[in-house]
Amino acid sequence: MILSPAERSYLYDSLAKDELIRPDARADYQFRPIEVKTSFLPSSNGSARVRLTDGSEIITSIKSKVVLAAEEKSLIECDIDIPGFRDDSNFVANLKYNMTSLLNKSFPFESLKLTSKYAFKLFIDCVVISYSSFPLTFISIACYLALKSTKLPKLISDVNDEETAEQPLFSDDWENAQYLGDLNDSKSFNPPLIIVIGVVGKNLLFDPSAEEEQVLENGIIISWYNNDISTPIHNLNFSVHSNMPNYKGLSQQMIMKSILMARKHCANIVKALDQAIEEQTDDGVIF
Amino acid sequence: MSRLELYSPEGLRVDGRRWNELRRFDCRINTHPQSADGSSYVEQGNTKVICMVSGPKEPSNKSQQNSSGAVIEFNVSIASFSTTNRKKRSKNEKRTIELNTTLERTFEQSIIRKLYPRTTISVNLHVLAQDGGLLAALTNASTLALIDAGISMYDYISGISAGLHDISPLLDLNTLEESGMSFLTIGVVGNSEKLSLLLLEDKIPLDNLEDLLAIAIAGSHRIRDLMDQEVRRHANLRASKLVK
Amino acid sequence: MDILKITQPEALSQDVESDIEMSDNENEVTGNSLVTPGELVTDDPVWMKGHGTYFLDNKTYSSVAGSVSRVNRLLSVIPLRGRYQPETGDHVVGRITEVGPKRWKVDIGGKQDAVLMLGSVNLPGGVLRRKSESDELQMRNFLKEGDLLNAEVQSIFSNGSASLHTRSLKYGKLRNGIFLKVPSNLIIKSKNHSFDLPGNISIILGVNGYIWLYKTPSSGRKNNINASSNKAQASFDAKGGYNPGQGSVSITRLEEESSWEIYSDKNDPNITGSVRKNIASYYNIIKALSHGELGITEQRIIMGYEASLAYGNSGSLIEKEAMESICEDVLNSEKMRGDAS
Repeated sequence: MILSPAERSYLYDSLAKDELIRPDARADYQFRPIEVKTSFLPSSNGSARVRLTDGSEIITSIKSKVVLAAEEKSLIECDIDIPGFRDDSNFVANLKYNMTSLLNKSFPFESLKLTSKYAFKLFIDCVVISYSSFPLTFISIACYLALKSTKLPKLISDVNDEETAEQPLFSDDWENAQYLGDLNDSKSFNPPLIIVIGVVGKNLLFDPSAEEEQVLENGIIISWYNNDISTPIHNLNFSVHSNMPNYKGLSQQMIMKSILMARKHCANIVKALDQAIEEQTDDGVIF
Repeated sequence: MSRLELYSPEGLRVDGRRWNELRRFDCRINTHPQSADGSSYVEQGNTKVICMVSGPKEPSNKSQQNSSGAVIEFNVSIASFSTTNRKKRSKNEKRTIELNTTLERTFEQSIIRKLYPRTTISVNLHVLAQDGGLLAALTNASTLALIDAGISMYDYISGISAGLHDISPLLDLNTLEESGMSFLTIGVVGNSEKLSLLLLEDKIPLDNLEDLLAIAIAGSHRIRDLMDQEVRRHANLRASKLVK
Repeated sequence: MDILKITQPEALSQDVESDIEMSDNENEVTGNSLVTPGELVTDDPVWMKGHGTYFLDNKTYSSVAGSVSRVNRLLSVIPLRGRYQPETGDHVVGRITEVGPKRWKVDIGGKQDAVLMLGSVNLPGGVLRRKSESDELQMRNFLKEGDLLNAEVQSIFSNGSASLHTRSLKYGKLRNGIFLKVPSNLIIKSKNHSFDLPGNISIILGVNGYIWLYKTPSSGRKNNINASSNKAQASFDAKGGYNPGQGSVSITRLEEESSWEIYSDKNDPNITGSVRKNIASYYNIIKALSHGELGITEQRIIMGYEASLAYGNSGSLIEKEAMESICEDVLNSEKMRGDAS
């Protein structure tokens, strides 16, 4: 997307004002509304679709496989597919790297353990059907929703299989399947999220739109897990197809400010997502 | 594993259908109004496909311009999770390229290309789940999305697969059936008996071909009617909404 | 206001569902006649075949899904959706995509980019000045890739693409505001497509669905322009650039104002916060009308603005429920005024 110089300067001035004014009058912490649907892929353990008002759309599937825990580097494999982009393009590799490092650092892996030898491995596949702004936040939201709706078959063989050569046995009845979140009875299960924050002047804005991205001076990504700030945290140029022409260095102050802002609002994002899962109806409507 | 009986002596198939029954066919038009000129979603049994059409538009690549008519590009992408066993597919897989070419050939005939000189029409298809009849579902989703985009076409193209079990033709195969018998996929022009697509990659005795085509054409006509109902439902909804 | 508002896809309403199941009433349609591709429209050969139809064996068939239109003896089918189809005289908003030899390519949301010839724009120095080779060399100083402008469709080429012109003071480069897009079929053609709205805001409702919302130019427009144009010209001179019209005497007002100012990229330095907020509100109202698929007119935008004042914070207007309620309010106030069509 290219903006004209006049559009760019109007937008920059509006966003850099003491009291920022976004083109659609959103508050600095306000996300664009989304439409979500979960559990619509019968051959996956979990699935979610997230769509933004601008038409951006992400579909995530979670499939599981029983593995020998000792033979796996990680029990989670995350892949991102954006039609029109090669898998080794910077854009895709960057998104994949961020999601992989988020999930590897902030995930309750103990809940995937089945027996002393075996564990579930999760394959998380995100397809970006279309996008206009940097899609990382919504990829992480789609993963969050898919993980929350993931059901795994119930183990019926002995947990302690140290001595036996048998493979784990599962209940044939899918009715007995358990939500991933219920496997670990110790505490509530909340997958991690990534929030992208735009920097303009002294202002920070959540969920910058494609137009807003064009005048950002920098971008920060912040992760959220178990009700607290997590890693990765770093800065990034969100604009994929053109440079952010105003791109500048980032002051320590702005980093601290963005962390405070995330700390203040992220719990509400998680709350909204959890509520949306509660409200899902099973009417077979995908679109 | 004992060999599954694909067609019982009582005339029932693995999923309980009779020889001439279609699977559940569900389709929606205009599913992605914000991100495409035309869009659709098709479920044929457990095969699920999204289609998004963009264009006619200025070609991104000048060398692709054709002053006699629109250039039509298909781009099928098959999600790694679309099959029961997850499989990462390379974007240049031979199978995918074949699908793209087959669809391009089919729709080049049915789109009135000469109306759109020097433009590109790109049709992007996403396969979310596959359980047989993939090419047929892709064909149907493309027809609907092209209609939604307002692109001129001579007629609907409706697709279906049919296989031959011993000497009985079976309509609209699922994956299990496809792996156990010879089958073909056709695309039928509207309510006619003309084929704009015929894909047969297995051996079928010539004597049985006529029966097989007859049931496939009948199945395609039923699919056309179901798609036409959805187009009319959407059109009426729109007409009632557009208060000018 | 929620930080993140989440909705679910809606199931098709029940009565619509039941319509589908009654399979054989395909011809029962609201309004006049709805046809779909491949359907016979008429076998009477007296009709002339217009857009959306094709002719085979003396019969006319539909090639799109839409409604049949019979004007005089011309038979056409108007598709429900489709890209903008330019017509001579349309007032459009467009964005430059390419600078070529003696012409710009302009995205106007059609099937092909439109063409704006160097000869179809006013150049600094006035209309009476002859176009020279140096103009051709510095086309990017007038309009470059990404620039927005409004223009009129001057003619249609045989391949359907449009040729534009900006040879009037009301056309040209756009400043002091923001751009948005709606489907072009929501814009109802009228005599005038630029309006002043309450709150010191103006709008250009391009027939192509491209819209420009901007600060209403101050009433002393002419003086201002002259004052700042001198500045603009001075700055250009400082760069060692072009010196158009210098020394010549202004003959007409048109000529006077066709200075470098019309190609300036500089916004008015005094756009207040309240103007920016109003622009954002109108942006959301137009999005809401588009969401409800209501035809977008000056009057509806103003009614939507009045309805939106009930929302303390216009940031909540991006939510689906709010958009739908704005549309309802607009339709209700139309009914009350008795001017619903």
